[in-house]
Amino acid sequence: MPPPVTEKFRVLLIEDNAGDVFLLRSMLDSERKCGFYISDVAGTLADGICLMETHRFDVALVNLSLPDCAGIDTIVTLHAAVPEIPVVILSDEGEEDLALNALPLGAQESLVKGRLDGTTLQRAMRYAIERMRAEAALAREREMLNTLLDNIPDRIYFKDVESRFLRINHALTELFGLDRPEQAYGKTDADFYGGEHAAKALGDERRVMDTGEPLLGDVEFEMLADGRKSWSLTTKLPLRDRSGAIVGTCGISREITAMKEMEEQLATERNLLRSVIDNLPDRIYLKDASGVYLLDNVAHQRWLGASDADEVLGRSVFDFFSDEIANHLHAVDCQIMETREPQLNLEELLVDAEEQPSWVLTTKVPWIDDVGSVLGLVCISRDITLQKMNEESLRSTNAELNRSREEVLAAMQKLQRAHHDLRSVQLQLIEAEKMKMVGRLAAGVAHEVKNPLAVVKMGTEFLSMHEMAGEPDVRETLTGMVDAVSRADAVIRGLLDFSAPKTLEVRPESLNAVIERALILVRGDLKGIAIERELARSLPVVKLDVGKISQVFINLLTNAAHAMEGGGMITVRTYTKQLTGVGANVSDQRMESFRIGQALVIVEIDDTGHGIPEEKLPKIFEPFYTTKPTGKGTGLGLSVVKTIVDLHQATIDLRNLPSGGTRATMMFRT
Amino acid sequence: MESETKKRVFIVDDESGFTHLLKLTLERTGRFTVKEENDGTKAWLAAREFMPDIIFLDVVMPKIDGGDVAKQMTSDPMLQHVPIIFLTAIVSEKEGGHMIGGFPFISKPVSLQAITECIDKHLRAS
Repeated sequence: MPPPVTEKFRVLLIEDNAGDVFLLRSMLDSERKCGFYISDVAGTLADGICLMETHRFDVALVNLSLPDCAGIDTIVTLHAAVPEIPVVILSDEGEEDLALNALPLGAQESLVKGRLDGTTLQRAMRYAIERMRAEAALAREREMLNTLLDNIPDRIYFKDVESRFLRINHALTELFGLDRPEQAYGKTDADFYGGEHAAKALGDERRVMDTGEPLLGDVEFEMLADGRKSWSLTTKLPLRDRSGAIVGTCGISREITAMKEMEEQLATERNLLRSVIDNLPDRIYLKDASGVYLLDNVAHQRWLGASDADEVLGRSVFDFFSDEIANHLHAVDCQIMETREPQLNLEELLVDAEEQPSWVLTTKVPWIDDVGSVLGLVCISRDITLQKMNEESLRSTNAELNRSREEVLAAMQKLQRAHHDLRSVQLQLIEAEKMKMVGRLAAGVAHEVKNPLAVVKMGTEFLSMHEMAGEPDVRETLTGMVDAVSRADAVIRGLLDFSAPKTLEVRPESLNAVIERALILVRGDLKGIAIERELARSLPVVKLDVGKISQVFINLLTNAAHAMEGGGMITVRTYTKQLTGVGANVSDQRMESFRIGQALVIVEIDDTGHGIPEEKLPKIFEPFYTTKPTGKGTGLGLSVVKTIVDLHQATIDLRNLPSGGTRATMMFRT
Repeated sequence: MESETKKRVFIVDDESGFTHLLKLTLERTGRFTVKEENDGTKAWLAAREFMPDIIFLDVVMPKIDGGDVAKQMTSDPMLQHVPIIFLTAIVSEKEGGHMIGGFPFISKPVSLQAITECIDKHLRAS
């Protein structure tokens, strides 16, 4: 049972013979159920083409002999105008050969008019339609294939069993430097590549054809003629015919030079990085979140006591350290990964795998991926033990230097002090030498003056025994002479005292006792003057030349008495004092004589006299300088005092008291 | 007899003005017989001749030192018992009692009182 006809096929009949038109219509009408009907008829080719361009037809029935065109040209013209319409040629008897020639030029089927019936016609048209469809489909396939072959940047070829090119695509044509693919056909790789590459390709293709197994993803390297390096990724397949027999090979090859170069560059960079990391003295490692080492460098391996990376990677601190140390290290790492806070330049004392301690400067940074997950941590740490030791030794060297400096300073101070002492000794020596000369001079003067004085004095003595001494004028004259002699004698005596040899005979003595004796000796001069004693009870003994110190007190007490002609009071005071520092009472000059902390015995003699004019104070210890009226003093008393006090390495200072009068202060060392 | 009770005082000093006045003054008291000698080198012989009870001897003299004269006297058995008092213009006297080379001294200028006290003291002691 034939399938039910659902399609209605529109047929254009191009025929100038009305009888044939009638006949053909009748044939199709008798086969009504076939689905073909002649919807239009054209008497010329031009009309037919015109109709076909404006209407849709499923098939055309064309007579080869038309008024405006005949023979093969009819088909050629028609096909050029409307190639998509299936064409069935209607030929007259004797035109069969012509019709057959026309078939490949655009017709699908040919029929001879005299041998027609409805069924044949209908079958021929159906066949023409089918064939047209198949051809179109094939053409589309070929079109797609060609599009693919000619536009893909990959190089594609087809070869026969002798590995001769059957077909190459546009990319390969370009690679070979050809204008057209056909120029390669019949040639082999040996015509385009170096022998080595060609031989390898040939071998590969033979193997593919022998085994029937494809060669997949083979990376080929070749040095191009212009010296460029070229890499390609090649797949070769057996080419089979319809029966499955291997008739050659086909292949596709992709240029991967850029990728390869990038890969090589990456590898170079990776190697460079690797070698930098490995040659850095710093220890570097990367570990995952569980603490397993993923990467480390030589310095780190050495620190762990491992000989290469294989002994480290995949392991953790627990494989290298005691549990205690490993736990500590791991806890630090966990905290950094947890808080995501890097630990920067931490100085810490660590032990290595052999528990040898060393100082390290460590930086640990959490390793975080693109989406913010913590993958592990990166650590770089540097051994700074040597620096630490250097620092330490620098510090101690500095301290030593400082110490040395202080010692040098102290030595310098000592030296300065010694220099000062020496200088004052030198001055004293000069002074002593001067005084020796003054002494000799004084002795000579004393001798030469005292002898005449002795004569004068004896003369007055003699005259005062004479009768005329009873006369008042004579007695007055004699008294004046005696006074004058006494004065001259006092001057000479003071001069002798002042220039007396400067040696001391010291013994430990009580200053209080010496003061008491001096007070007794000068009592004649102290008439009308009150004496107030403020003598400390337990005074340390002081090494003194009693004779000379007595003279000091006698001179000072006498001076005090002379300052109080109209009477007054002398206060003598002794006490001890610890020298604590430079105070109001302690001048610089005294500081040079005494050391802080030394116990001193102080003697003060205050009077209530007229005081010493301020402008004269600086000069009072100079020889022959006196504040007393002419005839009242020799100008040597205080010079003698000063000399003696100096010999005792004591000090003396005279100052006016705010309440009036003068205070002499002496300080003796105990 | 008067001369026998008077003490014989021998003064050696190159200062003739002084010795002369001292002689006059002492003799005027009526208690002393005084001999003066102004040349130190002649003092010893003069002393042996005069045989004094006491000798006052200047220290600084030309040609000979008072100390040397004292040595001559003390090494002479006839004179060694005679007290010698130095008279000096050089040393400043303080409170008396000072000695020079083991001898007492008084310093010039000297008062009559000091001389007589000194003579009395030493002659009483001897």
